[in-house]
Amino acid sequence: MAIAVFFVAAAMAIIGGVGVISFRQPIRSVLSLVVVMIALSVLFLLLSAQFVFVVQIIVYAGAVMVLFLFVIALLGPARETGRGRLRFQAGLSGLFVLAFFGLVYAMMQGIQFRQPEKTDLSVFGTVQSIAVGLFTSYLYPFELTSILLLVAAIGAVYLSRRDER
Amino acid sequence: MSNSVLALLILLLPAAGAILLAGRGWRLPRIVTQIVGPGVVWAAFVVTVVLFFNQVNGDFTYWTWIKSGSFEVPFNLLIDNLSLFMCLVITGVGGLIVTYSVGYMAHEDGPSYARFFTYMDVFIFSMLLLVLAGNFVFLIVGWALVGLSSYFLIGFWYERRSAVLAARKAFVMNVIGDVGMILGAFVVFVQFHSLTFAAVFKGLVHGCAPTLLCIFGPVPDSGMIELAAFLLLVGAVAKSAQIPLHTWLPDAMEGPTPVSALIHAATMVTAGVYLVGRMHPIYDVAVYAHGAVAIVGAVTALFAATIAIVQTDIKRVLAYSTMSQIGYMFLAVGIGAYGAGFFHLLSHAFFKALLFMAAGNVIHAMHDEQDMRKYGGLWGQLRPTSIMFLIGALSLVGVIPFVGFFSKEGILGAAFSRPDNLGLTVWGIGFVTALITGVYTGRMWWMSFAGKPSAERPVEHPHEAPPVMLIPVAVLAVLATVGGLIQTRALGVGPSLVSDYLDRVVTAQSWEENSFALHIGLVTMLVAGLLFLAAYRMRPLTARFPWAQRVLEHKYYFDELYNAVFVRTLDRAADVGFRDVETPIIDGSLAGAGTRTTWAASYASLLQTGYVRNYTLVFVAGAVIVAVLLLARFAS
Amino acid sequence: MGTLDIGGSQLDTSWFLLLGAILFTLGTVGVLVRRNPLIILISIELMLNAVNLTLIAFSRQLENLEGQLFALMTMTVAAAEAVVGLAILVDIFRVRDLEDIDDLSELKG
Repeated sequence: MAIAVFFVAAAMAIIGGVGVISFRQPIRSVLSLVVVMIALSVLFLLLSAQFVFVVQIIVYAGAVMVLFLFVIALLGPARETGRGRLRFQAGLSGLFVLAFFGLVYAMMQGIQFRQPEKTDLSVFGTVQSIAVGLFTSYLYPFELTSILLLVAAIGAVYLSRRDER
Repeated sequence: MSNSVLALLILLLPAAGAILLAGRGWRLPRIVTQIVGPGVVWAAFVVTVVLFFNQVNGDFTYWTWIKSGSFEVPFNLLIDNLSLFMCLVITGVGGLIVTYSVGYMAHEDGPSYARFFTYMDVFIFSMLLLVLAGNFVFLIVGWALVGLSSYFLIGFWYERRSAVLAARKAFVMNVIGDVGMILGAFVVFVQFHSLTFAAVFKGLVHGCAPTLLCIFGPVPDSGMIELAAFLLLVGAVAKSAQIPLHTWLPDAMEGPTPVSALIHAATMVTAGVYLVGRMHPIYDVAVYAHGAVAIVGAVTALFAATIAIVQTDIKRVLAYSTMSQIGYMFLAVGIGAYGAGFFHLLSHAFFKALLFMAAGNVIHAMHDEQDMRKYGGLWGQLRPTSIMFLIGALSLVGVIPFVGFFSKEGILGAAFSRPDNLGLTVWGIGFVTALITGVYTGRMWWMSFAGKPSAERPVEHPHEAPPVMLIPVAVLAVLATVGGLIQTRALGVGPSLVSDYLDRVVTAQSWEENSFALHIGLVTMLVAGLLFLAAYRMRPLTARFPWAQRVLEHKYYFDELYNAVFVRTLDRAADVGFRDVETPIIDGSLAGAGTRTTWAASYASLLQTGYVRNYTLVFVAGAVIVAVLLLARFAS
Repeated sequence: MGTLDIGGSQLDTSWFLLLGAILFTLGTVGVLVRRNPLIILISIELMLNAVNLTLIAFSRQLENLEGQLFALMTMTVAAAEAVVGLAILVDIFRVRDLEDIDDLSELKG
């Protein structure tokens, strides 16, 4: 049963991914990405990452993507027209990307997984265990990340000010 | 005031004068320059006299300049009879000449006037440092500074191209000598591991100083001593304008006449003689080098005298005469007659400075005309100067009772009496030279002062020099007349003050005067004097042999030889160096660094296309490379 | 060791990794080939998601919570970066109508 869930979610993710890069209109691209994110969150759940699953949906799909939607609404439906100026871009890109994928695939073939640590899987990935980790061992990165968010917020506010003329 | 302070004062006074005149001289009224310039020299003379009469002797160290392990070079002054003797000559005769030049250089404008006396004071300081130095290092410093002052003074009228070239020539040849001196000092250091005269001379007598680094063992290697002596001789030869490093001296006459009097007659050119005297312990051991000194001196004496016969410029005659007389001094110290040699140094300072300054008066009166063929008949018009010139001339020829007789015959007598072939040989050369001296001096005298005024005279009625120029000359004339009385050894009787004084410091003449020498001396004087008179009527012998005339006029083609061998070769090498090394390689690499960078950058800037997608492509390419590296690392 | 026991079935970690690789590659292609700046930003988000998937997968395989924590951080950073990127884009759009990112080539040379 888990296998079936996996394959369905995987298929959705891939289709969504193709959609992200294929659609001409940005709005459709965004919606494809939302599909991908939901599929991924299912996979997270499958992988015993309950908290991340929820956060993915609420924050990522819910907030960040909505932000993208708002910006698209603000900027209007732009379409890519014309052929583009860089002649070799598509060819070279395909080349490098294929090379990259091939290399990653080769890496995966040689993977030797390490012995997992002995943990209680029933509390693995729960809110409590995440909280314990976040506020004790990883307090420092946590605080830095919050500062990062603050800086980003300030930056965004500043950048989108209209200059009073 | 203690003796060491007095000794230092001798040096400091001219130095202070030079600094004052260099910094402020041209801004202050001329009278300041006129007082300070000669004044400091006279002050130094007074101090020297004080030390002389107190018979001060000492090696005064003021501070240690270099101290490196066991190697020390102090700043020390060696006050002994020899150095005081030289100081007396330098400050005394120098004082007279600097005073004289107050008048001679009066035509110069303010800054130039001050500049002249600055240079003169610098020179006096350098020369004093040279003779007072107590170690090789400061000797060489003084040596080099004297060469530098000479360059400044010869090229004083620097707008004149000929003066600049002459100054350069003098400096270059002096530097060749400097190199010899320095190499000689190196050899001395290797032998004795010290550079102070006291240590070196003690080492020569008693063996090496007891340090670990005395390489050649307790007894100095005489071969190395010979080498050192020859190298030092190179320095002496260059400074004293002996063959083969003599070609600069005639050209140096481009400088003002007081310069010629001071530097190229009385003091700088005698530095070589002083050197041999000071280094006499070395030369006593290095017999071959010692003999070479005598030979060089004798040959130069004869050689220069022959050239003097055909000169038409009055100063050039005197220049070659100087070369010749210094040859006599080298001859004397070369055979070991130090007292005679230094006495001739003193007397030559008197009469040659006298001659130069009197000639300066004539030149001044003739509105800077130096060609003797345009003189004639000056006896009637410039009586005082003519009288003094005559005194100097007779002194030069060596006629009794003037000082030149006593000093020159002193040398020739010593050479004649020396019981070996060297003595006789150099005597013979010296004898012939004395005769020729009579000829050229006579010629100079008759051509300039006797007869009718030449048709080409620039000035119809020349007027005498002002007192400031006459009095120093007169003083020297008096000294030239009575000076002989301090050493009348040539006559076989009477005092030998100079020799006695110096023999305490330098080696005494080790052989007896031959009684025959006296007669020979008188004969020499007679013949030379007759030739002097005969020169009035005598057409130069060489006129009958045009080829000889040509050789003499071209100074035995030395200049042409040096030009062809050294100057042109070096010029060509410099041209090649400039064209093929300096410009393409050195300049090129510097400029090329710039152009290459710009060229490379112009290619590099092609990467900056401005397109974001290109840049991301580069990112991905980088990622691919990293992936490859990781894979390679973990696959192996 | 790579097999995961999930809900009774045996799944393999490498399947998740492969999926992550595919999504990442798709995202890269999107960044390189598409010319609309918004779509480029979206493709970057896709790449970030793929990375998150890989992190979570390894976290499950090693039974170590670090992977999930890291994924949370990544998400935060992605959000911040999206915010700022979009703000810049809005700023540019105020001045000119940007359809093609190749129009932004003032840094040429």
